Amino acid sequence: MSSVSDVLVDVEELTVRFRAKNAQINLFSKSARWFNAVDSVSFSIKKGDTFGLVGETGSGKSTIAKTLVGIYRPSSGRVKLFGKEINFEKAADLAYLRKNVGIVFQDPVGSLNPRLTVREIISEALIASKSVPESSYDSKISKIMELVGLRRSALTMHPRELSGGEKQRVSLARALVVPKKLLILDEPTSSLDMTIQAQVLNTLRRLKAELDLSFLFITHDINVIRYMSTRLGVLFYGKLVEVGSTYEVLSQPKHPYTIELLSNVPQIAAKEMVNQPSQLDSNVLMEHQPSLEGCIYRNVCPKAFEKCIESPALYEISQGHEVACFLYHNEVGNKGMGETITQL
Amino acid sequence: MKLLDVKDLNVDFVSTEGRVHVLNEVCFEVERGEIVGIVGESGSGKTTLGLAVLRLLDSPPAQILGGSIIFDGQDVMKMDPKELWHLRGTGMNMVFQESLLALNPVYRVESQINESIDSVCKSTKVTMTKNERREKILRILKELCLDRPDQVLKKYPHELSGGMRQRVSIAMSIIQMPKLLFLDEPTTGLDAYVQNRILKIIKNLNREFGISMVLITHDLTVASQICDRIYVMYAGRVAEVGKSEKILEKPLHPYSETLLKALPKGYSDSPLLPVPQGEPPDMKNLPSGCKFNPRCVYAMDLCRKKEPKLMQVGEELVACWKYS
Repeated sequence: MSSVSDVLVDVEELTVRFRAKNAQINLFSKSARWFNAVDSVSFSIKKGDTFGLVGETGSGKSTIAKTLVGIYRPSSGRVKLFGKEINFEKAADLAYLRKNVGIVFQDPVGSLNPRLTVREIISEALIASKSVPESSYDSKISKIMELVGLRRSALTMHPRELSGGEKQRVSLARALVVPKKLLILDEPTSSLDMTIQAQVLNTLRRLKAELDLSFLFITHDINVIRYMSTRLGVLFYGKLVEVGSTYEVLSQPKHPYTIELLSNVPQIAAKEMVNQPSQLDSNVLMEHQPSLEGCIYRNVCPKAFEKCIESPALYEISQGHEVACFLYHNEVGNKGMGETITQL
Repeated sequence: MKLLDVKDLNVDFVSTEGRVHVLNEVCFEVERGEIVGIVGESGSGKTTLGLAVLRLLDSPPAQILGGSIIFDGQDVMKMDPKELWHLRGTGMNMVFQESLLALNPVYRVESQINESIDSVCKSTKVTMTKNERREKILRILKELCLDRPDQVLKKYPHELSGGMRQRVSIAMSIIQMPKLLFLDEPTTGLDAYVQNRILKIIKNLNREFGISMVLITHDLTVASQICDRIYVMYAGRVAEVGKSEKILEKPLHPYSETLLKALPKGYSDSPLLPVPQGEPPDMKNLPSGCKFNPRCVYAMDLCRKKEPKLMQVGEELVACWKYS
């Protein structure tokens, strides 16, 4: 196992609750008024890792991202940065968090101030850091522009004059102009064209090596996450159902949800569906409804059995590969993985 | 006879800043029962092509500068507004990209779908009772695999998830039983799983009702799933036309090749994606010669001077000097 020192961020049983506004959301939670967007999620990111989070819309991916930069507060659970627990009520702790963790949001249009020039947008990050003398702004900005692959003439432009890919590069430059340890990327390429997406992904991989960064990469695109991440967590309605090395999770998925998720990954294959007989199983085509009690995936799970009325915790089934599913508890055997194992 | 036959379509957008050629000599055909994909990056003119064929482009700023559009034996270019009104709906129909914007936020789903039925009833002079309509709507929604369709009918667009909204949009078009349906980015912005479901549904509708379809998308993977033939567009021009399996296995045009290479492959230790630098072209300021030449790895002198026309290579059409 790794020593504590190379763990960058440690998230323990993080729960983020929101007050439910409409009746539909009420269904998702046992208590009628609240629902857990993120429900006791634990994971850690080591130095040099790209930790990927995948899940459908509403699975809590972005909520985790926003909590890790202090935009949302955890309702319970702990976030540790270099072993130091962050107190989200303390301004000094938040400043410490934001000094080390940067974020790039999904929507490049919405996250850049339309009234500022690129130079002003990037220098805002320098001003906020309070650690850089104003005289060195220009050199810092031109250095980061080169690193993220922005042309110099963009400096005096406004966001609307830039293409989608360039806007996303400005977001990147703003996040990284003050050196960070961890960069959170929340669907950074989902609004970009295919060739531009490829360019930005390549830039990200290069930046990671050059600036000695770690990434938390959030997306719903399995092909992108495979290309980017070293470790992977699968979220389903706020619960982490499987964590492991990207290779292991994608090549040997264990949780029934992960298996279903991967079977839906579009592969480039000509008319794959045409040659298949019509398999319109309406159950599969319905939207997922999470179960309110027991295992959250119970309602849709093809392998659900009696035990699933209890809520499974994450169990390690092989080194570094954890699954929250009772199907695999027998494989764990009696390693004494925790008090929740009851005799099957 | 072909269902849709578009020849040499030219469309300009005119503004105070000047004139932009959005579509340049575009030829486009759809056979009966076929699903055709139009693939290209933003600004390649794929949506404009769909709108132009349906004669939905606002003029100004758009100007159709010649070319012909023959749909089902009728000349669409010569139709007056009343004929066009009859054509849209039961002849050609379109599902628009942003389902949230395409649906009216202040009407419930049921009354929006009813609007579609109304217009069909009006043009075919059929009357339907309220119950018949409801039954028909429920049947279509079920066909689209919507959970609890009777509940969905009572909802407003904002109360539905993206996938559900997209299916309501599709229902509004399908219920009119068009001969040809344009789907503009029907799965963009949706999760892979929802996307896959919608593609399956679309394929099923094509098979079951024999509706010909044109799928407009920027994602070659999406097009590859259900299309029989694919048109690759670049800068308002058709770069390559061919059977989807051909384009996916052995693309002829360097741009199609780039699109394929841009798909993320392999794990994090795999080599970087071999995509050339450069951005999609600025339509106001296009390069001379082949419009792809600044990003093309095979560019020769000729490519910078003279623009290639579509030429036949095997069974496919491609606009590239490599093959002359």
